[in-house]
Amino acid sequence: MATTTATITLSSADLLSDNLSLSSTMNLYQHGTTATGLEQLNYHRALLPVDGDFDLIAESAALSEKANYVYIINKNTDVTDYVIISINSEPIGRLYAGDWLFMPWDCDLTHATADSSIEVLPKVHDIHIEYALFHSGETLPTSGD
Amino acid sequence: MATTTATITLASSDIADNNLSISNTATLTTAGTDTGITETTGLARKKVATSSNTVLLYSGAGIAADVTADKSAKVYIKNINDRGDGTKWVNILLATVEIGRLYGGDFMFFPWSGGGGKDIEFTCESTSGTDATETTLEYTVFYE
Repeated sequence: MATTTATITLSSADLLSDNLSLSSTMNLYQHGTTATGLEQLNYHRALLPVDGDFDLIAESAALSEKANYVYIINKNTDVTDYVIISINSEPIGRLYAGDWLFMPWDCDLTHATADSSIEVLPKVHDIHIEYALFHSGETLPTSGD
Repeated sequence: MATTTATITLASSDIADNNLSISNTATLTTAGTDTGITETTGLARKKVATSSNTVLLYSGAGIAADVTADKSAKVYIKNINDRGDGTKWVNILLATVEIGRLYGGDFMFFPWSGGGGKDIEFTCESTSGTDATETTLEYTVFYE
């Protein structure tokens, strides 16, 4: 097994009347285990054409009902550029230039009409994006030849 | 304006042949600008012991009334419970859409479009179904 940690630090010296300093570290473990780490990783960089609606991370039977964690960052530098992150056509939020997200992902194949793939919609300009999926298995497409 | 930063570090020495070390810092700004976000809910804690669905952030009212799709908001949520054997978790939902599972000790940080009906909700679950084990979440929202 692998040991992978995620650490977040939220800080500000002037948002409140006192310093804000929050830090947390978690281990990325497999579902149904006390402390067995996730062993598989997909890490990509892509240029997404503006206004194109894409499945960034697609559903997969082997990902279903497991522990999956997603990291996405918008690498553009123009502050007006953003990418809309959605699941099942429901917008979660916008990642503006330099913004990132880290969240668990429930690959849910139980709803016949719903698509739990993580979708992206780049706006204003083409968007350079980096993203990672930490998981314990995915179904690869069968070779067609 | 205020300066608020969010830093993520993802690290592993053995998930790949070479060390994995991803680290990035985002400065939280209003939508489409480099002006810092000036409002927050502050850090809050919610404790439940129910198998029913619970609204954590009620969109379109209260503190979340200002969170809409054309603005900027970031949400942090952490499941404070112990991990145990990894068979219990909190299912985080945006309205009726499942985002993902926070096992004990897990956190998430994500942008939130908000708007009417776009509540952030959660359900305590286990491999047996919904679960009424006492569960504590900590959360905060940064918004404009």
